[in-house]
Amino acid sequence: SSNEHKLNFKKSKEACLSYIQDALLQKQWKRAAEFLTCYVESLEKDYSREHIGPSEMIWRIGTEILRHHSQNSMKEFNCFMEQMKTLGVKRYLKVCLEHVFHLLCNGQIDEAYQNLSLAESWRFGEQTAIQDKEMKLIQAYRGLLDYYSWSKQKNILLEHGEDGFSDLAVEQEMHGYFRKAAVNLKEIIKIPGVWDIFVKCYVDLLEFYGDHNEAHQVLNEYAYNSKFPANPNAHVYLYQFLKRQGESKKSLISALKILHDIVPSHELMIDFNTMLQKSKKRKKRRLGLEVIFAALDYAGWKENAKAWSCLARQVKQIVISEKHLDWIKQEWNSRKDWWPAFHFSRYLAKRNWQENKSLSYEKALVAGILLGKDCKYFKYVSHQGCKAQLKRFRILKKFVNRHNPVCLRISG
Amino acid sequence: MEFPAALFPSYFGAGPPREEGGPAPVAGWGEHGQVLEGGPGRRQMQPTFVPRRGAMGERWEAADAAAVPVLLPSADCWIPSPAPQDILYRSGLCRKLRAGKSGATLDFTKQLGHFFVDHPEDAFGSLGRLLHKNFYLGNSKLKVTVSRNSTIRMTALVEDINRLEARRGCPRQHLASRLRWFSHLCRDWLFEVPLGLLAECLHEELMQQWSNLLFDDSLTGGALAWLPPEEGGTPVGRLVHPGGQAMNHLYFQDVVLEELPHTQGSPAQFELSGRVRQVAASRVDGQDFVGVRSDYHCGVWKVPGKRGAAPSPLQVIRTDVPASCLTVSPHLPGELSVCTQSGTVYLWSVETGLQQLRHDPQTMFFRDHSPWRWSDFTAHPRVLSCADRTGLQCLDARAPKKCHFDLFKVGEEAGCQQGERVVLPMYLGKAHPSQYLVTTQFSVYVLDERLPLVPVLKWAHMMKAPPLFAHLMPGKPGRSHKVLLGASRTQELLLLQYRGGSQSACQLAGTPQKLHSIAGCLQHLPTQLPHRHHLLQQRLTAPATGLAATLQEDGPHKSMWIFQLSEAGDVFCQRLTHKAAQPLPPPSRDEVTTAPVPSPAAAQRYRRWLRALSRACREPPRHTWRPSLSQRRLFTRRDLEGPAGPSSLQRQMRQWLRQTMEEGGRIQRWEPMALQPPPLPQTLELAGGLDPLSARLTAAWAGDWEQWWEERTSFSVAQRQRALRERRRRQKRAQGRRSLSASFTSSLTYQSELSELSDTGPPLLSPSHPPLLSQEGSPPAGSPPVHSPTTSAASAAPDEALLSSQSLRCRGIPKERRKTLRDYLSVWAEGPSEPPEPPGSQASQLCIPSSQSQLSSASQPCRKRPRMGF
Repeated sequence: SSNEHKLNFKKSKEACLSYIQDALLQKQWKRAAEFLTCYVESLEKDYSREHIGPSEMIWRIGTEILRHHSQNSMKEFNCFMEQMKTLGVKRYLKVCLEHVFHLLCNGQIDEAYQNLSLAESWRFGEQTAIQDKEMKLIQAYRGLLDYYSWSKQKNILLEHGEDGFSDLAVEQEMHGYFRKAAVNLKEIIKIPGVWDIFVKCYVDLLEFYGDHNEAHQVLNEYAYNSKFPANPNAHVYLYQFLKRQGESKKSLISALKILHDIVPSHELMIDFNTMLQKSKKRKKRRLGLEVIFAALDYAGWKENAKAWSCLARQVKQIVISEKHLDWIKQEWNSRKDWWPAFHFSRYLAKRNWQENKSLSYEKALVAGILLGKDCKYFKYVSHQGCKAQLKRFRILKKFVNRHNPVCLRISG
Repeated sequence: MEFPAALFPSYFGAGPPREEGGPAPVAGWGEHGQVLEGGPGRRQMQPTFVPRRGAMGERWEAADAAAVPVLLPSADCWIPSPAPQDILYRSGLCRKLRAGKSGATLDFTKQLGHFFVDHPEDAFGSLGRLLHKNFYLGNSKLKVTVSRNSTIRMTALVEDINRLEARRGCPRQHLASRLRWFSHLCRDWLFEVPLGLLAECLHEELMQQWSNLLFDDSLTGGALAWLPPEEGGTPVGRLVHPGGQAMNHLYFQDVVLEELPHTQGSPAQFELSGRVRQVAASRVDGQDFVGVRSDYHCGVWKVPGKRGAAPSPLQVIRTDVPASCLTVSPHLPGELSVCTQSGTVYLWSVETGLQQLRHDPQTMFFRDHSPWRWSDFTAHPRVLSCADRTGLQCLDARAPKKCHFDLFKVGEEAGCQQGERVVLPMYLGKAHPSQYLVTTQFSVYVLDERLPLVPVLKWAHMMKAPPLFAHLMPGKPGRSHKVLLGASRTQELLLLQYRGGSQSACQLAGTPQKLHSIAGCLQHLPTQLPHRHHLLQQRLTAPATGLAATLQEDGPHKSMWIFQLSEAGDVFCQRLTHKAAQPLPPPSRDEVTTAPVPSPAAAQRYRRWLRALSRACREPPRHTWRPSLSQRRLFTRRDLEGPAGPSSLQRQMRQWLRQTMEEGGRIQRWEPMALQPPPLPQTLELAGGLDPLSARLTAAWAGDWEQWWEERTSFSVAQRQRALRERRRRQKRAQGRRSLSASFTSSLTYQSELSELSDTGPPLLSPSHPPLLSQEGSPPAGSPPVHSPTTSAASAAPDEALLSSQSLRCRGIPKERRKTLRDYLSVWAEGPSEPPEPPGSQASQLCIPSSQSQLSSASQPCRKRPRMGF
């Protein structure tokens, strides 16, 4: 009966698909391609109402095979893509976008641009929410390519400018690219998302044309709009912009303070710490100590010699001046139950000494101050240092021994 | 650690997932996802782009045709866990019903029937015995006797039942009226356990079994761990795996990594009192810490870094609710995190005990029925992640209530599908300190703590069963990190590669690769007899329960070993070799690999394994031979030798026989005058008095229950008075002594006072009892520090009578000495109750837990040998 036939057809379709899947997962591209040619038949009787229909499957599998099959050529790939675009209306934009990505990754920027323009002009009835998003992305990527063209023209112009020769046509073209890029880039960065590359390019455009207010506003929005994810890069871009603009220390510090609050382990925390340490205000210096302590809490900073030297310097200063010992004490209080095992174990002393002498020097200084001269880390490193007749380790030992009563006050 | 200067573009939405979907068989193929400017060769006038997915990855190829066994099958036979066909209702009618998406139909009646047949005593014990005489099961008609009125013939009823069985599934089946009549009559009183209650329990159990069959999340994390060798040392690592019939033995086995890895020496073995569900390991400061989770116990072992050093147990905790997660800190030695199904998360430190971080039976972001919880460590040693099916949160252990943030949400934020649930989160610290892996039944996500909620990588893994196991092999700078995903039921193994996270954004590298499963070696095994083949197939397709892997670099040769553990306790291994990147692989390369044959060494390994398996799982001898007993061992030869000549009685009898034969007469009855029948044994009076219940019942039966009660109450009054008097006398004496004992250390008096208390009042919890996690609700913050839960979970109950102060006092031992004596006795009393230790085991080593609080150190003599609680 037809019902049975339908059922059998479905079964063989599923079997075929599982063979393809198996071949793909074992990187047997040729075998997968052979099965795929059989699977194409499933398009004829597409009764499925599944999440991913046969036409999408063919697009996905075909793309994957063509990308890896050794005998592929760009022409074949493009041909396949064009066919796939006509296979399903709903997926048209998605297939276009993926096609563009493939072209971009293969260095065919112009073809990609053409495809983007073509896709942008595509209209078919009412767009779904997903299609709307895809369209915005297509426009944004076109804007990005326009930006690169602009940047190219700009470089040409700057080079020529050095020769004292200006080309009006090139300049005109450049401004044209600017307008096209700016319109599209501006659109996408209004929507919540991660748009690092688009934001960077847009800000670059605005800065070039001197629209610093707009640039500042865009960056502020990107960093502080609560609908956007807490992207550390947004704060980094803002900080870098402010720095370029020669803004005051105060605004730089406040930008970094927010970055510190969301990502205490960010690499800019070293800059932040140095900035704060130089400050005359007590409160800022105190914050600096907090920042560097917090950064060193993270596993990724464990062997960061720069960070350890920042901490060592500040702690040493405090011990010598014997002022604000309570700052160290407070920071140390919430850490004294786990920092010794995390940073100052004997095992780490040995390893640090073997791998990075200057790291072990800074750490030993901090350990000696925080834990006293009997701490394992300090004892091991200073002993090894003295044995190796390194002068600064001898000085370190003397320093810690001299200040041991102060150190005991911290750890006690 | 740096943060990538630019991330791949993506939309960010909030709220519940919008995308409808379900398992999609090919959803992971063919997409680049997004592109980003970057990569080498920048600024050559033209920008270059890199894709989020589809970048080049490393080439790893299987070295052999299939996975090979690492361990020989253990001696005890494996009992497969129930399969769907065991508990599902099978009939044509129901299959039709099931097609209508009504779900599976569990065969409740069959299971209840099994119970009645298998446990008749429990089902109908007393009434069955009472009615025994009134049920006639024969075929013949009942004779007209006195019993006629009180006996019924059951045969017809049985026939009716059989007929009903035969007609099962027939839509026109009618219950025989006789059956209905009978069940109507006796449903209420025939059963030992009320039928409703029994049915409810059975139904609950069936549902539990069924949901376990569909998805058993108790295995999450996997029960296999690999402790790699020291860097630069010999390639001898250690495999930690469960074994034994009930999977309640823990083995630490040295394994040499060669082309085919092989075991070295006999393993260190520990017997635990629960099925091992998870084995987690982490290396801190050159030492391995191995956490082991069973349903109600979690334990931690320490394995020193030196080769051949024995693993030593450190601590055990017991939970009231099954634990669902145990992870070992990669930052601090002896720290673990534990979750229970009641929604509690603990930070467990061997030194300071348990700290409750969260208690919330509800799920975090939306309502989900699953009690499964998970927790792991993050880049900050004091911040732990905790997960349920709806997402992940990170909490600061120093202020868990105040400081937390959402790391992952099943929702629009991560672009999830409807119905998607978290299956396994894992900290990827070895690859990048702030990266996290989250798997769901549809996708895998890589997250960065520094950018919470937005996955830096997402890929639809297309696995047929949810990935319950994952393993990370970090790549050196510039190389890709490898992540293995493993499923349980289908034994799927998938190798993914990704790179980035600090200088560049995260990218999926290469295409995912399917690896050999245990079942895949079936086709390479020698041909078997059909029933053997079936058994073998059953064993090899048993669900996977663990996954471990290791990378070994030997100059240009890079190899990857992947171990897979099955429910049957088998550990299989496969090796992948790295092929140097070739710009264009030879075109027909993949066709070569279609029909490989195992190498001779592997084939030999299979044969050896099969031989051991058939030896171990030979059918029990009682099926083939009758039990026979050698007499030689029971009797000596002399015992068996008869008396030298015939006895006088025999002679007499023979003579008599001969005489009768001569006479042609017959012997009507042997009349052995010499043979007296043995005297009947005297009916024994019950030696002791009956226990109170029996006495009461006997009395009630005899009808003089009231009198019994009178006696009983008057007796107990007298007894109580005596006890009271005794206590007062003791108190007086104790008061007199207090001044004396005050000069002794507090720990001594503490102990004896405690036992005094336990004499009089209700038995107090002895301080050596492990602190249970039972009081889930009570905040432990205010409670005294947790005492060492390690030693002697059982506080030697039989010794207590002997050691109680009362009995010691009776022997005239002064109070001050009692403690010493008690310690002494406890050491001796414990000896025989130790489980026998297997040869080569390190379990016998003394394990002295680091002293906890004064309380515990006072009550636990350090001499006590550790009894790992489970």
